[in-house]
Amino acid sequence: MNDACQRYLEDPEGNPEHLRDCAECRAVFDALGLEVDAKPLAVGELPMASWEGAAHRPWALVAGGAGAVAALAIVLFIVAGMTPLGVLSSELSRLEMMRDILRLTSTAVRNAPTTWQITIGVLFVIVNTILVLLLRRAPRGIDA
Amino acid sequence: MRSRVVVVLTAIAATIVTVLLAAPAATPRHTSGSGNVVVFGRDTVIDHPVSGDVQVYRGTATVRDVVDGDLLVFGDGVAFEGNGRVRGDVILAGGAVKNGDGRIGGRLYTPGTIEGAMAMITRTAVIASLLLVWMIAAIVVTLMSGREIRLSSIEIRTSPLHCFALGLVAVTSFLLTGIVFSYLVPYLIGIPLLFALTVFAVVTKIYGTVAVFHAVGTLVAGARTREQLARRRWFRGDLAMVVIGVLILGALRLIPVVGTLIWAGASVFGIGVALATKFGRREPWFLTWTTPAEARAQEPGRIIQLKESRLGVCTRSKTFRWVYAPRRRAFATVAAPVRWSRWKSANFWRAPRR
Repeated sequence: MNDACQRYLEDPEGNPEHLRDCAECRAVFDALGLEVDAKPLAVGELPMASWEGAAHRPWALVAGGAGAVAALAIVLFIVAGMTPLGVLSSELSRLEMMRDILRLTSTAVRNAPTTWQITIGVLFVIVNTILVLLLRRAPRGIDA
Repeated sequence: MRSRVVVVLTAIAATIVTVLLAAPAATPRHTSGSGNVVVFGRDTVIDHPVSGDVQVYRGTATVRDVVDGDLLVFGDGVAFEGNGRVRGDVILAGGAVKNGDGRIGGRLYTPGTIEGAMAMITRTAVIASLLLVWMIAAIVVTLMSGREIRLSSIEIRTSPLHCFALGLVAVTSFLLTGIVFSYLVPYLIGIPLLFALTVFAVVTKIYGTVAVFHAVGTLVAGARTREQLARRRWFRGDLAMVVIGVLILGALRLIPVVGTLIWAGASVFGIGVALATKFGRREPWFLTWTTPAEARAQEPGRIIQLKESRLGVCTRSKTFRWVYAPRRRAFATVAAPVRWSRWKSANFWRAPRR
């Protein structure tokens, strides 16, 4: 195994001539039953990869999409007679309510019946164990 | 096959647990401590002054005297009688307020006051404005880490069931962990733990939802062939897919009830895929990989076949060069050589940058 062999293995389509010249690699690939040398690689016939064209940034579409959503929101605000400040205020009051609920429920949890507390503890262990088991699975994605 | 059954069973179990958490079995209980009143599973009558808060879960509250703090009712409503009044806020989830005029010192929060009473047009306006915020967030996240979003989007499309099951379990876990952390609130550590959990949950949801936008955009408008891709000026690239996904899911979100369910489902998928791919890094959360036995047995310089898709060349006893050849997209994912130790520490999981 020399540098040329390694270069070929790292980039077979970039060094297709290597397999013609190197009997050792040819023998190894024949032994493994891999058909990588027989026909030249036709890149165009391979399935399209996810990264192809991914870096393209169509700013016109982005601006158009954002503008359309903004225009819809403005029109609806005008029709409803609301101001964005009113929306902000309603969202803030919702946050305030969530904060109150959080504060109150934390008190309630500590005062809950023992059976509830035990149930919560058991569920906590079970659910987090399942979570860990599911997280151990390797992502498939591009390997699928 | 077996792992699929496990995933399905896990999804069902997580759903049941979530439902149980949302509507726990009632156990009568009345607790009073530090001026607070907490009642579980029965109706309660407040006929003496309460210096703290009153909470009623799965029951009706009848207030006949003064409550200094807040009143929270997750049940069948609240009725005011006699001298009954609440100096703080009243939070009501379920039922209605009877005879409450002028008896609430703070604010009254009910699903009605927040959303239900909003006119349809106002509600739509609020959703549209939030959609604009999502659009901006999606654009920023995609510009910052488009590759990670793309890899997560692929994961959603290849393992939707796993992502959904993981999302359900993770949401349940967030909820239970929040409850457990709330035990620690009286101590100093509880608040930072809850804050950290909230931040993690919010980041997971935002990242995951953007990945779902990308997946939806790609499913609907993604190019299927290179010729199609080459012809397109606008509908190509990560940014375009995300924007299209936001517009499609946003349009669905505007449908009453169904839209909310679809959006919630997208959030579950999003949280699942964010965790499944470790925010697009495709690294395992826990290092459990060991040297394959067939690799260990080989002499340096031998080419070996590992399972179905991996081909390794052993150049030294502890160094591997990998030609990463998955069953599909083989040419696209030829990996750079990595040292065995780095592969073991999870760098193997990273696809090459393009």
